[in-house]
Amino acid sequence: MEAIQLEHVSKVYHIGAVETQALNDVSLSIAVGEFTALVGPSGSGKTTLLQLIGCLDKPDRGAVNFQGRDVTRLSANQRADLRRERIGFIFQFFALVPVLTAYENVELPLLLSGVKPTERRERVKQLLDAVGVANRADHRPNQMSGQQQRVAIARALAPRPVLVLADEPTANLDTANGQQAMEIMQRLNQETGTAFVFATHDPRVVSFAQRVVKMRDGRIDDNGAPGVN
Amino acid sequence: MSLSKLWTIAYRDLGRNRRRSIFTLLAVALGLALLMVMNGFIAGIMEDSLQNSIRLRTGHVQIRADSYEEETLSLQAKDLLTDPDALAARASALPEVQAAAPVVWASGILDTLDDSAGLQIYGIDTASPIYAPIRSALVGGTFLTPDDRNGILIGKSLADSMGIAVGQKVNLAIVNSDGRPDEGIFTIRGLFATGIPNYDQGAALMTLSKAQAFTGTTRHASAIFILLHNRDDSAKVAAALRSPDVSVLTWSDLNQVFVQAFQTSMSFYTILDFIVMLIVAVIIANTLLMSVFERIREMGILAALGMKGRQILQMFLLEAASLCVAGIVLGVALGSAGVGYLATAGFSIGDKMATVGGSSFALGTTLYARFVPGTFAVLALVLLLIVLLASLYPAWYAARLEPVEALRAE
Repeated sequence: MEAIQLEHVSKVYHIGAVETQALNDVSLSIAVGEFTALVGPSGSGKTTLLQLIGCLDKPDRGAVNFQGRDVTRLSANQRADLRRERIGFIFQFFALVPVLTAYENVELPLLLSGVKPTERRERVKQLLDAVGVANRADHRPNQMSGQQQRVAIARALAPRPVLVLADEPTANLDTANGQQAMEIMQRLNQETGTAFVFATHDPRVVSFAQRVVKMRDGRIDDNGAPGVN
Repeated sequence: MSLSKLWTIAYRDLGRNRRRSIFTLLAVALGLALLMVMNGFIAGIMEDSLQNSIRLRTGHVQIRADSYEEETLSLQAKDLLTDPDALAARASALPEVQAAAPVVWASGILDTLDDSAGLQIYGIDTASPIYAPIRSALVGGTFLTPDDRNGILIGKSLADSMGIAVGQKVNLAIVNSDGRPDEGIFTIRGLFATGIPNYDQGAALMTLSKAQAFTGTTRHASAIFILLHNRDDSAKVAAALRSPDVSVLTWSDLNQVFVQAFQTSMSFYTILDFIVMLIVAVIIANTLLMSVFERIREMGILAALGMKGRQILQMFLLEAASLCVAGIVLGVALGSAGVGYLATAGFSIGDKMATVGGSSFALGTTLYARFVPGTFAVLALVLLLIVLLASLYPAWYAARLEPVEALRAE
């Protein structure tokens, strides 16, 4: 079953008078439960593709279907609703809200979704436990170092999304923390059935992926699906 | 998402750059304190001046002959009340009236061997409680008794400037009701110091009967001077006393120059109030805008997590409101301290400044502020409203950021 489907998607950025073709006629399907790596050199379009998959942006051409819904027809508020309920994000720079504790950061998407307090408490504790930072629940991001990305992983999974998108999730981590973060994501992918798509340069990260989508110059060179090229 | 959680984030965001938040809070607090002191001071000056004028010069209500002209202090029979005792009795019978008494006014010149001064003569009912303020302001000699035939009271500052002492005889010259000059020898019976230089330097009081005899206005009076228990009843009392051939004037008619000056100065103060509020609002808007620019990527993250523009807008407005409310609390404390100090210690302006406004202004030599809670509450609320309006732009800017653009920010 497809979580998301992109059909002949193109995206052009205009920076001043310069036009940059970030994506050029890209088609890609991500199935529920997949653990997929997007690889390619800088400027190949990985981040733009993640943003379209994550409904953060709309393509200039082509269609994006999220579980059968045409995302390009949704308003900004409807896309915000979709992200809140179905999609988790993990960023390279951790992206925790600095004034909130680890617990509150994980709780935030649940508050936005209106999850009841008892269930909220249970889910946050369970997730902090699952990523191994239960003992740092009351710490703010600046009081944690390599563990920030674990909190970000817990936050991404809090709303029980269909899909988690991670942009260079290990780029700012040392080898040991990077390895642990990938192991946690892999384990949670298997336990929860949530699909993970992560953009990366790091060959060690790619080794975790079930499927590797290769990109170059805004196109998909190899979509990594068996029998499809 | 509940407003309380948004408020938690907003409140903690204020702690990110404590120094900036504290300075902004101080700007609000000092702005409000300044507004309170300014408005408390002008309210105090105006109210005290009005009360002084009512107590010493005009009363709350006056009955006069239709043709009476205050500027000339006319003593001609046609301009005077013919049966003042009956009119005073009628006024006294009203429950709203505290006291009513006839009065004769005349202009005169006080002479000693060395000096002379122009002043206004007040022929008064010495037994009336209307003159309690003069009794309590006596600083030398005694008050007039009803049978005192040649005693007068003058202000101590006038006496000092002319070298006159209690018991001394002085010459008083007038133009009587027939239009002829006349003069008499009077004894200084007592000296008063009301603290109102215009009055202390320009009034001489004698008994009503003596004034009537001296000016040739026997049994007539310039006006019935009426004090009320509550000044808000003046229109009602005036309506009850209205009758043919007399005009009944209220304190606002009698202090028209003052009331107009008060309204003009209040308009001026309203402009000043808005300028101060706008300065505070610009400071808050600037703080918030800086805060937005520093947190653009964070806004992108919150948007990625599904926070809607409306919620981001609320969060920034809550941040501004928290800062403003905290500033208002501190400002009320600072402002109250300032107004409290000026209400007790006052601000001395000296005799010369106090007479600058002329006889229409019964300014004291020390001006006092006054607590005006209603005005202070309105100022605080308007300040909060203006700050929130000024915060709308930065909040709106944050709310309309595209998530993709925001995430790309450094």
